[in-house]
This record gives sequence, C-alpha cells and structure tokens, in this order.
Amino acid sequence: MGDLGQIILGGITTGSLYALFLLGVLIVFQVSKSMNFAYGQVGMIAAFSAWFFYSEQGLPVPVALVIGVLLAVIVNSAIDFAAIRRIPAGRPGLDLVVTLGIFLLITAVMQQLIDANAHTFISLGADTRTEVAGVVVSMSDGIVIGLTVVTVLAAYLLLNRTSLGTSLRASAEDAGIAQAAGVNVRALRTATWAVAGLIAAVVAILVASRLSVDAFYMTPFLIKAFIAGMIGGLDRFWLPLVVAVALGVYESLAVYLLGASAGTPAVFLLIIVVLALVPKRFVNERNEVRA
Amino acid sequence: MTGTTMTRPRRDGKSPAVGKGRGVPRLLTRVAVFAVIAAVPPLFFDDYWVFMAAQVLAFAVATLGLDILYGRTGQMSLAHASFMGVGAYTTYVMSSYGYGPAMQLAAVIGVALIAALVVSVPTLRLSGMRLALVTLAFGELLAWAIRNTTDLTGGTQGASVAPLLIGRLDSSEPLHAYLIALVPAAIATAFAVHLGRTQLGRRMLAVRDSELAAESVGVAVARTKITAFLLSAVYAGVAGWLYAGITGFIAPPDFDLFASVYLFVAVVIGGAGTVLGAWLGASYVVLMPEVFTLAGQPNLYPIVGGALLAIVALVVPDGIVGLGRNVWRRIRGVRGDEEESR
Amino acid sequence: MSTATGAPHVRTEGLTVRYGAFLALRDVTVSLPAGGISGLIGPNGAGKTTLLNAISGFTPIAEGSVHIGHRNITALGTRRRALAGVVRGFQTVRLMERESVLTNVLVGTERLPQPNALAQFLALPSQWRARNRDMAAATEVLDLLGLARQAHRRVDELPFASRRLVEVARVLVSSPSVILLDEPAAGLDQEGRQELAAVLTRVHENHPSTMVVVEHDVDLVKSLCSYVIALDSGAFLRDGTPAEVFGDRQVQLAYFGRAASADA
Repeated sequence: MGDLGQIILGGITTGSLYALFLLGVLIVFQVSKSMNFAYGQVGMIAAFSAWFFYSEQGLPVPVALVIGVLLAVIVNSAIDFAAIRRIPAGRPGLDLVVTLGIFLLITAVMQQLIDANAHTFISLGADTRTEVAGVVVSMSDGIVIGLTVVTVLAAYLLLNRTSLGTSLRASAEDAGIAQAAGVNVRALRTATWAVAGLIAAVVAILVASRLSVDAFYMTPFLIKAFIAGMIGGLDRFWLPLVVAVALGVYESLAVYLLGASAGTPAVFLLIIVVLALVPKRFVNERNEVRA
Repeated sequence: MTGTTMTRPRRDGKSPAVGKGRGVPRLLTRVAVFAVIAAVPPLFFDDYWVFMAAQVLAFAVATLGLDILYGRTGQMSLAHASFMGVGAYTTYVMSSYGYGPAMQLAAVIGVALIAALVVSVPTLRLSGMRLALVTLAFGELLAWAIRNTTDLTGGTQGASVAPLLIGRLDSSEPLHAYLIALVPAAIATAFAVHLGRTQLGRRMLAVRDSELAAESVGVAVARTKITAFLLSAVYAGVAGWLYAGITGFIAPPDFDLFASVYLFVAVVIGGAGTVLGAWLGASYVVLMPEVFTLAGQPNLYPIVGGALLAIVALVVPDGIVGLGRNVWRRIRGVRGDEEESR
Repeated sequence: MSTATGAPHVRTEGLTVRYGAFLALRDVTVSLPAGGISGLIGPNGAGKTTLLNAISGFTPIAEGSVHIGHRNITALGTRRRALAGVVRGFQTVRLMERESVLTNVLVGTERLPQPNALAQFLALPSQWRARNRDMAAATEVLDLLGLARQAHRRVDELPFASRRLVEVARVLVSSPSVILLDEPAAGLDQEGRQELAAVLTRVHENHPSTMVVVEHDVDLVKSLCSYVIALDSGAFLRDGTPAEVFGDRQVQLAYFGRAASADA
C-alpha cells in the first residue's frame, strides 16, 4: 500500500493544482470566449515578485505575498482590458496570438527585473509531515487538496445557486441579451478576469512552495492544465476538472512505473491517443452557428 | 460533372478579368529582383554578415513553412522550431553515421513527415485551438527526447554538426554556406509563391476564413489542414537541416518553445499570408538579436518581440506587408484611378 | 449524378429536423422540378433555411430522406453532397474577405476533378491543365455576372451587392446541377434586386440547373420562379405556380398575417 498510496497522493495533489488552475481558465473562457496563453506567467508574477520582495527587499513574507497576488490580479485584468477586448471580430484565434506576445513579454520583463535563476520559495507547510495509514502527508498536500475542493465547490455554488451566477451564465451565453436584461456585463467580465488572476496567483505560489521559483516554471504547468481542459472541454465544468486531477494521477503513476523521465512522453501519448479515439462530437467545441 | 457546360463562346476583348500574358514578364522581374537582392550580402558585406545572411536563408525556409500553416490555413503551431529541431537533429544523427547531404535531406523530410502525421492526424480532425496545445506538448516531447538520449544527440550540452559538403562547397565557409542555402531557399520560395496559384492554396485560404463556405463547395477541411501541417513540417525540417549545416552547432534551446514563439513573431510582424512577409520575418528573427547585441541591450530583444507580437496582432493584423499595401492603396486612391483593377 | 444537359429533380421525403426539443421541420415532403427555378417562401421561422441546410447536408436530419435525381443522398456529408452537385450560398455572405474576387470564385472549382495535392504543389502538367480550365470557368462566370472588371479587387473593398454576386459566382463556377441560394437578395435595394433577378435568370439560361431560392420578396419570387413552395412553422403548406401559391388563402394568412386580396 505504502508506495502506491504515496504515488497516488502525490498525483492527486498535483492534479488538484492543475484543476484549480484550470478553473481560472474555464471561467475566463466561459465569460469572454478567449484563452489566455499568458495565464501561467500571470501566476509566475505573483510568486516571483513575492520571492523578490521578501528575500531581496526584506519585506515580511505575508506583505510580500499580498503584493505578489495584487500584481497578478492587476496584470490579468489589464490583459483583458488592454488586449482581449480590443481583438477585432472575425479574427478567430487572435486571442492566442496576442496573449502569446504577452507571455513572451512578461517572461522577458520578469527575467530582466529579477533574474533568470531558480530560487527556493518559502515552504508553506511542505516540510510539516504526518503519517496517515502508511502514507506521508505534508501540510502542503492538505492545503492544496482542501483549497481546491473548497474553491471548486464555491465556484460551482456561486455559478449555479446565486443570482450573480445566473447573470454570469447569461452573459456567457449571449452578452447582448444579458446587457439588455440589465446585467452589467463589463463589470462582471472585469471581475471574472480579476478572480482568475487571483486563482493563478494562489496556484503559482503553492507550486513555487513545492518546487522552486523562476521565470519559466509555470509553463509546463500551464500546458498540463490546458491539455486537461482540451480533453474535458472548455465549455463544461466538472469533466475538465476531473480530467485535470486524473492527469496528475496518471502522470505520477507513469513516473512511478516507468521512471522519472517518463512523465512528458506519457502525457503526450495520452493526448494523442485520447484525441484519436474519442468520438469527434464529444471533444469538439460548440459548433459555430450554422448557415 | 465536369465543366462541359462551360463551352459558351467567350466574348473576346471584353474580358480583362484574368491577366494571362502578364505571367512571364512578372516572373522574370521577380527572379531578377531576387537575384539582385541575393547578390548584395556576398558583394558588400564581410564574412560575419554573410554568415548571418545564410542564417536568414535558413530561417526564411522555416517562416515560409509557418506561413503556409498559420498565414494561409489559419492553424496555430507552437512547435515550428521543434520541427526545425527534428530536422537539425536528424541531420546530426545521419551525419554522425557518415551519410552525405542527399541522404540527410531525404531522412529529414521523412522524419519530419512522420512526426507531423503523428501530431496532426488525431488533432486536426478537431476544431479550434487544439493544434496549438498539442504542438506545445510536442515541443516538450522533443526537449525530453534530446535530454534523454545524450549518447545519440549530445543531450542538453548540444552537438557539433559536421559541415555540409556539396561539390566544392563547404558550409563551414560563410560564403559557401550562403551559396548552399540560397538554392533551397529559392526553391522553397518558388513553391510557396506557386502554392498561391493552386487549388490547394485556395483550399487553405477557404479553411482559414470560413470552414462552412469551404465545405459548401466540397473542400475536405481536415485533409487540407493536415496537408498544410505536413508541408509546414517539411519546410521546418529542411530549415533545420540548413541551420545545422550553417551554424555547425545545435542545442535544445535553439528549438524550444521560445524559439517557436519567435518564429511566430516573425511571421506575424512580416505579414501573415504573404511570401514577402515570411522573408521579412526571417530577417527580423535573425538580424534583430544582432542589432540589440550591437546596441549593448541583448535582453531587450525578447521584451520588444513580445510587445511587438501583441501590438502588431491587435493593431496591424496584416503586418508590415499589410501596412505597406495600405499605404500603397492610399497613394493610388489619391491618384483617383480606383477603377483600375490591377 | 446529373448530366450536363438534364438537371436533376430534387425531392425530400418525410423530412424532420430537430434542434433539441424544437421541431424545425416536420415531415416535409417536397418535390422541386428538374431544371426549374423554385422559390421557397414562408414567414420567419418557417424552416426555409433549415430545409436548405437539410438538402445541402449542413443540418443533421432526424427522419426522412433527400434525393437528387434517382440518388438517395441522405447519408452523404456536406462535402460529398457538394461533390455530387449540390452547392449552396449562405444567408450571410461567407467569403474570404482579404482575398481577390478571382480567388474567391476559383475556390468554387473544388468540385471539378483536381490533381492531387502533391501534383498541385510540384506544378506537374496536370496542375497546369486544371489551372487553365479553372481560369476559363472563372472568367466566364465573372463575365456573366458582370464582375470581370473587379476580378483582382479585394472582396472587402467591394459594395455589398457585388459581394453577394461573388458568392453566387463561387457557387456557379463549377456548374453544379443543384443550386441552393439562401435569400440572395437580402440587403439589396429595389434596383439591386431586379438586377439580381435578371442575372439569375441569365445564369439559369446559360447553365441548366435545378435552382432553389429562399426569398421574402413576393415580386422577386414572381418574376424569377416558375414554381413556389410555401412553408409555415416547419411544415409544408402549399406548392404550385407563383400565382397559385400566392393566391392561396392559407399562404396569405401565414405569410401576411391576413388574406391579401389585391396582391395575389
């Protein structure tokens, strides 16, 4: 039990981080029908600048963390405000191109402002361990899984059980009609991007506390979350999140069974096989309005 | 059903519609312009800049390929540099087993095609942004493969590639490298220009602009996307072959995600969907880092690149070529001969 | 398959189309005369566009079948139907906006036998033969529609009426045997409508085909169509000559909300 349990716990923790991160991608996609390629880098800003402020500038850790999170929220809102809203209609796919530029810009700027090296981050409970049924559980694992469950449930309840959620879903369905019905679509949209920025910041700080922080560490993470979203479908809610957790478990099982370097090819193989085998109707996005 | 009902006699003299006849002089003009520009680097610049010019030629093959995929077919690949890497590492492995340029090139094309088939066939029957994500994963896979095969590929430390020897030319000489690269670059350009005149090229444009309209006239949308992806992968592979031969040294960072993004920046800035834009983009991607290095600010290159990509995509989606075209149209408009349908 | 001389007869049998719980077409059996121009009329939401979509394969069919001549094409996808000779235009013009008129029209030659992708790319002789044939077809259609002078203009530079014609030209360039047009006169002024009717009549004389036109404008339908089918709320209402259909009380009720006496 011990080894395998440990592996599965590690997978669930990583998968929870993918899922939490993906939640931010999903709400943005559903409200503004766009993908933000720079999303991982938004989180990186939070963690990297927090590290810079407490380690290099000597600010207290909580203050540094708050500054980092605020920066991420501001940057993510600014991406929507300055770029995504200005994409002309009739140019599908331009959101990815534009945010690809922002991705590059953020990476280069952070590298320039801080540095290009990897640094250890405060551990946030990664060192506090207890043993449960032969499996070593760190406080960080608990925080990650707990936070993911609570956030996802809160998001679900917010979207489906409150009037705010109804407004959100209405503006996701048809912004024009929602506007006419008295929903403040712009404010909702801005709020969604800000919340997504917050989620990215939290995930990035948690990831940094478990690994280390530099200007690039969120990119593999972003790729994994996007892949889960792609397999599960960006216009759904539960399925992509479950896929994200499953992807984390699959990855750690692959590493456990096939060796430390097997993660990347295993994930690649998985997407190719899933995309090749799953029926087209299941994985396709909503069709464009026909004729 | 063929065009057999189309036998109504032509009202001759009343159809200025399709300028035939213009073809040959225009072709000669283009060849002449290409030759004159191609003669500039070796005649007026020293070895270092000839070496850079040779790299522009290699990268032009790559950007032309990305332009076929993104500019014409509207599909986004974030692994174009990785496909260059496939070409470069295939070259390295083949040359380390003692095979010459012809066998290297054949292997490069074969391996690029196989890799492209694996990536594109499951992905491109689906719609949307999936290709971008799967190509991202492919880039990771290539980096992983190189990291884990140090004996074969040199791993993260990179590898020195034997120069290309073709006839009396030796690609370790900048001038020779330039001359060697000139031929594939010219051929790649000619094919890319020609593609615009084929139904295959028009299918790609139709798929980019409206899949519904494309289907309505009988275009096989998925097959067209896959064809475009295969073509772009072969272009990238050949570019990697040239790059390995010209620079003599390859390493994983040359072909990582950022390298792919830079190629993207190149195509978008130059002007997606145009051959000239791809060339401008290739010059940008090779010469711009040099300019920043000369200016003592090498770190500014990625910052400027990122900002340019976002701004150009938003403000001038047709890039430099589109900008030039607009200016030209305005000048023509002032002259007031809009009726002229050239 | 059709032949060049005889356009086929288009028939639907018991056609039912559902969008979720909504019945867009209910058990529609219609028969469109071979080689004629048929008008498809009905109030908004009658199912005109859905019927066009069902015939051209753009909408999945819940029940029933579609036949072109003696061939049952129900199982064919959009593309195969286009290759079988059923080509359509769209209600909202779908063109490659940044490309030239000529390029837009040439895309329509996809139905003609084209050399394989490699032969095209490598410019083998078969590619040159196909190109000459396609150019000739495009030139002829552009002449016929009066677009010859605009051949090298970008589509987004053209006025709306010309862009409509470009789409019609893209449909016509491969001489399809069944032509489906969805409100080709939408957005045109009176003059433009008359011109369009004249052009379509001319096209029909030059290229025998079975043409189906969805249209709201009664006068246009009367001047263009030899046969009219009226739909209402997804169901078949009436068919016959324009005079018969527009004279029908039920059609008038559905279409105008009242029985118009003078108009019919």
